[in-house]
Amino acid sequence: MTTPLTDSPAAALGQAVAAARAEVSPAWLAARRRIAWDAYEAMPMPSSQRDEDWRRTDIAALHPERFTPIDHVDAAVVDAMRAQRDGAAPTAAFVIDSPVAAPIEGADTLHAQGIIITTLEEAALVHPELVQRAFSSVRADESKFVALWNALWRGGVFVYVPRGVEALAPVWIAHPAGGDGHAVFPSTVVVLDEGAALTVIDAYASPTGPAALLSDAMVILSAARDARLDYNTVQQWGEGVWHIGLQRAVLDANAKLRFMGVTLGARLQKVWWEVLLEGVGSEADVLGICFGDGTQHFDHQSLQAHVGPETRSNLLLKVAVRDHARSVYGGMIDVAPTAVHADGYVANRNLLLSQGAKADSIPRLEIRANDVKCGHGATAGHVDADQRFYLMARGVPPEEASALIVRGFMDDVLDRIPHRGFAELAGTLLDAEIAGGSVTGVAAQAS
Amino acid sequence: MSQTVLSISGLRATVEGKEILKGVDLQVAQGEIHALMGPNGSGKSTLAYTLMGHPKYVVTGGSVTFGGEDLLPLTADARARLGLFLCFQYPTAIPGVSTVNFLRAALRAQGKEMPAREFLNRLSTEMKELKIDESFRSRYINDGFSGGEKKRMEILQLAMLRPKLAILDETDSGLDVDALRTVADGVMRLCGPDMGVLVITHYPRILEHLHPDRVHVLHDGRVVTSGGADLARQIEREGYEPILGTAVAATA
Ligand SMILES: Nc1ncnc2c1ncn2[C@@H]1O[C@H](COP(=O)(O)OP(=O)(O)O)[C@@H](O)[C@H]1O
Ligand SMILES: [Mg+2]
Repeated sequence: MTTPLTDSPAAALGQAVAAARAEVSPAWLAARRRIAWDAYEAMPMPSSQRDEDWRRTDIAALHPERFTPIDHVDAAVVDAMRAQRDGAAPTAAFVIDSPVAAPIEGADTLHAQGIIITTLEEAALVHPELVQRAFSSVRADESKFVALWNALWRGGVFVYVPRGVEALAPVWIAHPAGGDGHAVFPSTVVVLDEGAALTVIDAYASPTGPAALLSDAMVILSAARDARLDYNTVQQWGEGVWHIGLQRAVLDANAKLRFMGVTLGARLQKVWWEVLLEGVGSEADVLGICFGDGTQHFDHQSLQAHVGPETRSNLLLKVAVRDHARSVYGGMIDVAPTAVHADGYVANRNLLLSQGAKADSIPRLEIRANDVKCGHGATAGHVDADQRFYLMARGVPPEEASALIVRGFMDDVLDRIPHRGFAELAGTLLDAEIAGGSVTGVAAQAS
Repeated sequence: MSQTVLSISGLRATVEGKEILKGVDLQVAQGEIHALMGPNGSGKSTLAYTLMGHPKYVVTGGSVTFGGEDLLPLTADARARLGLFLCFQYPTAIPGVSTVNFLRAALRAQGKEMPAREFLNRLSTEMKELKIDESFRSRYINDGFSGGEKKRMEILQLAMLRPKLAILDETDSGLDVDALRTVADGVMRLCGPDMGVLVITHYPRILEHLHPDRVHVLHDGRVVTSGGADLARQIEREGYEPILGTAVAATA
């Protein structure tokens, strides 16, 4: 049988590819991939007309079947990404999410500690119980793009830190893409056992330029009792990229997550940042910055799900949009009846740098427990005229005054990032965005 | 007789459609200390903002030259680069912008950049003089500062930027006796042949420290009388009423 997705001659996203993926997978994963593919086919594309979740994000122009799964690594992009690692976290192991074998660099120290760093594909074969534990938090068919990812992901990165081990160096994961018309399925799975500690930097990048690419991404973070995970991610796709991704963390008792997201690139991005605070006393601090210009469209959806008692979460996303860029934010704090004494806060602050830029913000609370402390806040405004005048009165030209104010608005977040090297990288990338017009992605030639 | 650095003649300005400055005339010679006094609401801050180029204050008549250049067509940043400085009555907080980064950006913009070491040494020295704690270097500019801390931070910027003319808008208000002395000493240390000062105040107290060459009284958007330091002492003794009474009578 042919599938509706193979109507274009260039199309390679289809049943054949899905079947080929299933073939090289262990039985449990092959079954999951088949369920996912069937679900993907059965589900309609999300619609801004029909689906409340997509009401403000229109992907009518996105046709997944026109993209071919990438089968190579773009060396120039990887070099640019490695250079960022060298500057921001020179001791970090460097792992490339690749459809073909790629050596893991600088991981000797971590390997010596018993930490597993390998491809997700390899892990699914060798450590099926660990991968299954992580996958159990994401249903193969929970949405159109989650199903597509489940059916077609390849390569991927898997990290496991054993009980009581505190990693001596960070892990830097690079998800590169390049060329034109390709689809990538970036995959990060991190499992921390009891009392383990790790810092991860998860980076997405493609060359600067209008090349059309589709990124359907998945991040699954799992922290067992008392584990501490410092997760940082930076999205630096080029201007023609569609980026849709789910980043979900599950925390057991007293586990602590520090999450930092930096969103700069892509034509359109829709991501879900979700934290499931399942264990008693677990905590999550989620921070994010986003800078958009040109006609970029960003959609961040966050979920702080308090399930365990005494859980605490705090989320702050700061967005600056210029030109005709647009930001959509939806944030939910969901407190289950079991989550007594939960403490949650969600805030989204938007800075509008042009008359044509727009930001919508809808934080929500759903509280089904007693004796909780929860709140939300959202603001949107233009650059403050008095602040600008104050800087100008000291000789600073107007454009630079605005840039300083934008940078200051963001530094309030960057100053709170535990990994200072990553914070500095984020600041540098942000400065380039503020100064550089509507260009995103890394300076690299597609090979 | 030294050269005139600031020359204002017949300056008229409106705020939100309302005329506040109704023909101000004032000359300040290079390196001199002038005081601008006047009751609340007479237009002193309006004059300061108008001179600095705040976009809300619209000039409707008159002229202003600074160092011989026509000031009025210039944006605020260009005025600052010519050497005009305003100590704000209510300094603005800019969360996220640290004092150090702010000062570096300002010095760079004014072509007064210096090597990092020299900059930090000078900053350290000036902060000690003004009794500002080292921790303020990395604090966001004016963010959560007390009234007195903000005023000292304004003088710190003045000390780092060394303009030709500093307008101090009620820098004395809200300061206790010790803080007032620190701030006044700071200003006195800086002014001289290279830097003149226009002190805006409605209390003569700060003038005991600053010893103005000239004192002007602004009332209802006009300079109604000018004199020497004894004019300030007269105001201290008798208030504005006798002066304004005669001034109003004179113009009537
Ligand atoms: N931004 C403004 N908007 C409206 N009215 C203003 C504004 N600034 C000043 N004014 C008015 O202008 C007059 C002079 O104010 P100001 O210059 O602040 O006086 P002073 O500094 O001498 O106390 C007052 O009547 C005040 O209400
Ligand atoms: Mg005033």
